[in-house]
Amino acid sequence: MKKKLISAVLCAAMAASMVIPAAAEEATADFAGEELSILVSAGWMDNRYDDTIARFEETYDVTVDLQTIPADQYSDLLQSRLATDSCSDIFWIQSDPFAIASQIVDPEKYCIDFTDEEWVSVMPETRIPACSYDGKVYGLQIWHNSPEYVMVYNKTLFEELNLEVPTTYEELKSVCEAIAAEGITPWFMPGADGWQHQLAFFQIGGVYAAAEEGLYDKLNNNEATFAGNETMLTVLEQFKELSDLGYFGEDWIGTDSTNMVNEFGDRNCAMALANSSYIKQIQEETGTTDEFGLFLEPLADNSYFPTNAAGPTMFGYAGTEHPELVKEFFKFVCTTESLQEILDNSPSYTNLDVTDENLEQHWLPEEEEFMATITDEQKQYGVLQTSTKYTNDYWMQFGQDMVAYCTEQMDAETVLENMDINRATAAGVVGDSAWE
Amino acid sequence: MNKKKIYPWWFLVIPLVLYVCFFLFPSLLGVFYSFTDWNSRTMGGKVSFVGLKNYIEIFTSNTDYASGIFNTLKFTVISNILKLIPALLLAIMLQEGIRGKNIYRTILYLPSILPFMIIGLTFRSILNYNNGMLNAVLDALHLGFLKQKWLSDLNVVWKSIYGVDAWRGIGYVMTIFLAGLNTIPQTYYEAAKIDGAGFWQRVRHITLPMLSGSIMINLVFGLTYGLKVFDIVYVLTNGGPGHATEVITTYSYQLYSSGQYGLSTALNTILLIITAIVGVLVVKVMSRQEVQQ
Repeated sequence: MKKKLISAVLCAAMAASMVIPAAAEEATADFAGEELSILVSAGWMDNRYDDTIARFEETYDVTVDLQTIPADQYSDLLQSRLATDSCSDIFWIQSDPFAIASQIVDPEKYCIDFTDEEWVSVMPETRIPACSYDGKVYGLQIWHNSPEYVMVYNKTLFEELNLEVPTTYEELKSVCEAIAAEGITPWFMPGADGWQHQLAFFQIGGVYAAAEEGLYDKLNNNEATFAGNETMLTVLEQFKELSDLGYFGEDWIGTDSTNMVNEFGDRNCAMALANSSYIKQIQEETGTTDEFGLFLEPLADNSYFPTNAAGPTMFGYAGTEHPELVKEFFKFVCTTESLQEILDNSPSYTNLDVTDENLEQHWLPEEEEFMATITDEQKQYGVLQTSTKYTNDYWMQFGQDMVAYCTEQMDAETVLENMDINRATAAGVVGDSAWE
Repeated sequence: MNKKKIYPWWFLVIPLVLYVCFFLFPSLLGVFYSFTDWNSRTMGGKVSFVGLKNYIEIFTSNTDYASGIFNTLKFTVISNILKLIPALLLAIMLQEGIRGKNIYRTILYLPSILPFMIIGLTFRSILNYNNGMLNAVLDALHLGFLKQKWLSDLNVVWKSIYGVDAWRGIGYVMTIFLAGLNTIPQTYYEAAKIDGAGFWQRVRHITLPMLSGSIMINLVFGLTYGLKVFDIVYVLTNGGPGHATEVITTYSYQLYSSGQYGLSTALNTILLIITAIVGVLVVKVMSRQEVQQ
């Protein structure tokens, strides 16, 4: 009797072991032959998702069509595709707590509601506002938590030239002068990318907020404007002065960031606004033995850290023909295996800001050293672009205006006025009562 | 009995319906929307009539749309000159029976079958100041003094656009001229030669007058292309540096993608009016010349 029972249990176990994978296979086989399209701006997925996408294709027997668009064209293209109901199954935006309302405008219409999905818990609470609208979660933001777009500098070079880290604009100018005298570009500014140079203006939001109490609230309630803001004018003027002095390089407007790593590795440049993890990339890709460090961008004598719980965010397009496959992709990306792959395949990431405790992070000593010097008070203000409504939506236009200002096509006040006009237009489009 | 054959009028129905549905109606709808506040929020909802507000905005706004209109006209004139004259000379040269002319024709025509996007991206890389091929070649030939910031210097950027556009378009224009040249009877040239006419005299008194049809086709095509220019500017400079190379269509595209459809269609309506005026004028002038000949 006992033998019979054991053999029955073993048989059942055998049968179960055959049935369960078969059932799982059946679930993935439901999607066989389908194509999942993803619309993304250059720099947001890059190669870091390649392995995960390949595994997804293999697991589900589907094809992923990754449509990577140059950054300076992405926003226009996405808006056109949304407006004409021809968007890809998955699309990305640079999201912040205001971005869904202003960029997607009608998430009910365009986005799949993921509120009840289990993977939402992978994101920390601080990331949820940038992925939600009206209490519903629409997006997935897998981004790092390193200091973003602070000054990365060649520490060894600074030591050789007896230079101290600048903390004020005047000190920065002196440092640039000394570096330029060596035939080295002091501050690498990739203007041709179209989205990088304006970081110099926006990342120091703290300096604007500290100069005028309640500035962010006033800007969000249409009680203040960019135009006439003395600190903002000062920053633009300082930026132009550095440009005129040639401290951004001979042709910063026509230079993109493709070669920035090598420029650092070859000591052709000394500083740049970059993510802290960029240090790892420079050292790994160029094999330089130079040491690198971080400091806060000192335009307008800024001493505030660029706090920013925002980043590129992935959304499911509500008009997709494959809603279930889209959901599976989001779920797949949030598994520990995929997250680890994404992190390990990202030369520019040292960590992912997720709640998954099984993930092995790779924090840099330089990051830890830098963060140890930053006080809570310095972290109190968010960056300008994601702390104020409708600002980030005109990122590219503001960048164009900055170049127009630096090439004498426009004055600084007009650059700021244009941002006010654009923000008012965006507010009008979404029917913001503060602008009525 | 010699009965004149007249095709039934209903042969026209299908093309006419397609034309009305997919061209005339959307165009008129566009003109209508240019007088409204149509935007991404009002899509599918109530669109309000705002009169000439969008047009006033175009000419009074901080954004320099007027310079976009001026740039469009400038591009139309210069790009046509830069394509028509060399294309005509090349066509005459290749018609004259030089050895390997078919190979030259093919080589010259090839760029015009390439997509604008590919051309734009390739030339963006070639014209890069720091690591582009053009400056590297100039350096290698010890012609470093000719190096330029091809796409970022305000004084040079338009020349780069014209250059790339001409490189792409000359072959196409030349092909139309070649087709025209083939229709000119050789006997005219032979008679002129017997009368002692030189090469340039033959060109002036036979080729050019007999080519007026091809010239008109190229002019009309060139002018409408120039007025509608978008791709080459968008891919090469995206309207930059700053706003130096903005044209009507790049502004229109920006407005459309930021959800300001009413304003965007107003800009397109202005383009439509300019194109119509220029097109009608050119056809009238050229037709008159043909009649005189």
